[in-house]
Amino acid sequence: MRAILRLAVPLLTAAGIVALAPTAMAQSNGEKQLYEAAKKEGQLTWYSGILNQQICDEVGQAFSKKYPGVSVHAIKTTSQVAFQRLLQDLKAGDTLSDVFTTTDESHVAYLKGKNLLTKYVPENAKGMSKVLRDLDPDGFYHVSWVGLVTIVYNKNKVSEADAPKDWPDLTNEKWKNQIGFGSPNYSGLIGVWTVAMQQAYGWAYYEKLNKLNPLIGRSVDDPITVLNSGERSVAPGNPASAFRSAKRGNPLAVNYPTSGTLMDPSPSAILKGAHHPNAAKLFMEFLTSKDYSEILAKNSEQPLRDDVPPPPGAKSLSDVKVLSPKLADIEKDLPKIKEKWRDTFGN
Amino acid sequence: MSLEQVRPVQGEPLHRGRLGRLRRFEPASLIWVLAVAALLFLVATPMVRLVISSLQTTDTGTLTIDNYISAYGQLRNLEALGNSLLYALEVTLMSALMAVPIAWGVSRTDMPAKSLIRALILGAFITPPYLGAIGWILLAGPNAGWLNRAWMTITGSHSGFIDVYSFTVLSLVTALYAFPYIFVFTSDALDRVSSEMEEAANILGAGNFYTVFRITLPLVTPAILGGAIVVFLDTVALFGTPAIIALPARIRIMTLQLWQYFEFPVRAEVAAAYAIPLIIITLALFWVQRAILGRRSYVALTGKGGSRTLTPLGPWRWVILGYSLFVVSLAVILPYAALGKAAFSKAWGLGFTLANVTLDNFYSLLAEEGARRTIVHSFTYSAAAGCVAVALALLAAYVVNRKLMPGANLLTMLCMAPLVIPGIVLGIGFYAAFASPPVALYGTAAILILGYSTRFLPIAYVNCAASLRSLNPEMEEAVRILGGTRLRAIARVIVPMLKKSLLGTWLLVFIPATRELSTAIFLVGAQTRVISVMMLDLSENGSFEILAALGFFLLGATILIVLLGYKIIGRDFMLRRS
Repeated sequence: MRAILRLAVPLLTAAGIVALAPTAMAQSNGEKQLYEAAKKEGQLTWYSGILNQQICDEVGQAFSKKYPGVSVHAIKTTSQVAFQRLLQDLKAGDTLSDVFTTTDESHVAYLKGKNLLTKYVPENAKGMSKVLRDLDPDGFYHVSWVGLVTIVYNKNKVSEADAPKDWPDLTNEKWKNQIGFGSPNYSGLIGVWTVAMQQAYGWAYYEKLNKLNPLIGRSVDDPITVLNSGERSVAPGNPASAFRSAKRGNPLAVNYPTSGTLMDPSPSAILKGAHHPNAAKLFMEFLTSKDYSEILAKNSEQPLRDDVPPPPGAKSLSDVKVLSPKLADIEKDLPKIKEKWRDTFGN
Repeated sequence: MSLEQVRPVQGEPLHRGRLGRLRRFEPASLIWVLAVAALLFLVATPMVRLVISSLQTTDTGTLTIDNYISAYGQLRNLEALGNSLLYALEVTLMSALMAVPIAWGVSRTDMPAKSLIRALILGAFITPPYLGAIGWILLAGPNAGWLNRAWMTITGSHSGFIDVYSFTVLSLVTALYAFPYIFVFTSDALDRVSSEMEEAANILGAGNFYTVFRITLPLVTPAILGGAIVVFLDTVALFGTPAIIALPARIRIMTLQLWQYFEFPVRAEVAAAYAIPLIIITLALFWVQRAILGRRSYVALTGKGGSRTLTPLGPWRWVILGYSLFVVSLAVILPYAALGKAAFSKAWGLGFTLANVTLDNFYSLLAEEGARRTIVHSFTYSAAAGCVAVALALLAAYVVNRKLMPGANLLTMLCMAPLVIPGIVLGIGFYAAFASPPVALYGTAAILILGYSTRFLPIAYVNCAASLRSLNPEMEEAVRILGGTRLRAIARVIVPMLKKSLLGTWLLVFIPATRELSTAIFLVGAQTRVISVMMLDLSENGSFEILAALGFFLLGATILIVLLGYKIIGRDFMLRRS
């Protein structure tokens, strides 16, 4: 009997997979129609402020593989440059990009306010992690990447027991000359982090940090370089970059702060007047799909869905406490913080 | 009347009056007009757009001076401008101190190992300032810098002796990657000075060093000044090094301030307003240059031939070689040794172990098709831009130098302006002017080539102008007297006489073009990616190992190109071999 069971379980499971597979493979009706329409357009242009060019190309190729006949021209720059190019395109009356992805939600909020976006709610958006759903209640833009800020440290210089566990631990005297971080004046993600820290601990938090003679760079990833070189040993940093570097063998480790990991969602939107509106919609489906999140995880980035396991060492979004200030708060607080930052840190 | 008929006939007496002037009209004049038109199109269009946008409100586009008030109404911004000017001045002085002695050593003396020094200096030139700055953080970081750790080990001291995060070291590190401008300008000029006057001074009893300071160096003042101006303007507009060093050092620098206008809410108009006074600084620099050069003559090349003998230095040649090696060690050997740790490691945070050594980083660069294409793009676009810029600059400099058209000074201004406008601001102007219809160059290689040509036109122009100053017009006049046209004079006399200098000029455009980021980032399309944009990507991605490998690859490739270039162009025609 046991033997039969032992045999039956995998068999039944396999049968189940076979039975389920066609439904998983089949495209929904809406998707099929979209694909047919997109095929006629043949291509789309994606202005991306997220990931890097190589991963953007990988995303484009995976998309074309899933939907043969529709190619993706991905242009990765910084979000500021992508937005600036977009504004110039709009000024010239020619929308050269179909889909725009930015690390700064205010970019798309601005475009939405000016009535320059096309509303589209991808069917796949329902499968995204709960904290990422409905970033825009009106459905004009959807999360395509999350910037996280955690605590990153150099394992060779700091033991696991000694490593800071939560944000206030970073202000400890023992990190004098040993801590580094980016600046809200140059990095949107760091900007959101400062908003969250000020909400939680007040500006005194940064005055304490300043006494430790921190090494201030621009981007959230600048600390990765100085942590690896041994110039500094702890930093608030982006776990994806740390995992990527650790995957190569570098001595970096990540702690998800107990009171909350900072999360800043990067949205994508379709532009009004896009030359390839159907291909753009199909691409929005792809950016919310399981395939896309798998590409993210493969590249040490945080997947956007719970049905895709996070990269080694990382935690799933539903397993960590998340701090995610609202756009309204960011837009209200950040300008003042930038001024205070210049007063405290000089630049 | 067709153009053919107005060409002057050999031996025909000159006609006076209007008819005479018409008769002297030659088809070459059309070339000047075309060259000036091309300049107006390339440079003036984005610049005019920039000036206009600095006077407009962001949303409605109505006329306003608010942008200037928000740009300069704050003490902090004025302080940043002051710091930037001081920084550029320091860098210029340091660069001259590095470049001029080495240029003299390489061009005029019997110093050994010249090719090595020349190649390494161009290696410093190809190094993106961004990468050099990181190399220096690895060397002179207060906690973990190699130099400081060595110092602490040797002296037993608890702190290092050099802090990369300081104003002086910021200037030093910038100068190490800027001095090649002055070096190339000066050594080109020194190659053209014949030894007659030096010999005369020697015969009259002047010693070697007296001769150098009273005869040789004064003769190449236009070149030194030209190089210094380029370094100054380039530094004022530099972003990479300040971003990496000045920011942590808490030094306010103008370009860093400028960058912040591109954070949301974007205020590109304020950025334009903040950048425009830099044009006034450019003007002032040229006024200073003219005042220094005065009415003296710097003609070094005449029709009478001439030759150059190398000054024998005796044991002093080792001193000048030592100095040259010291400078190139600081610029190339030490930082690349530090970067090498990353380029040849699997994980550079692990330190030196045999197990950690790898060539994978290089392999992954060359194996991936996208990366390979990107490298080829960078080199071909930059080479094309070098040719366009040299051709335009030579024509423009010729028009100005031989006073062929009214408004020559205006032309100089036009040729010099693009360098001082920070790249990001120029990039926006360029994108706005040329990406969309009617020009519609979006996503093409042409927009990048034109962008590079425009951005580095000033360098080409300054070098061409300095070269032409050293050329006695009598040789062209000889061509003209014998019935040749001006074009023939340029093609058969000027280009051959200045060929080495023109190659130098081409390199001066080619090399910075391969490392140019701020304009490129606005102009690249999906099929036209270039190395600098890829580097930014790698750095943002934390892939420092591959980034360092790319730096090494660039260094090697450029040195090869340069050596090949000098081989093709042949040996210095004035050098007397004994």
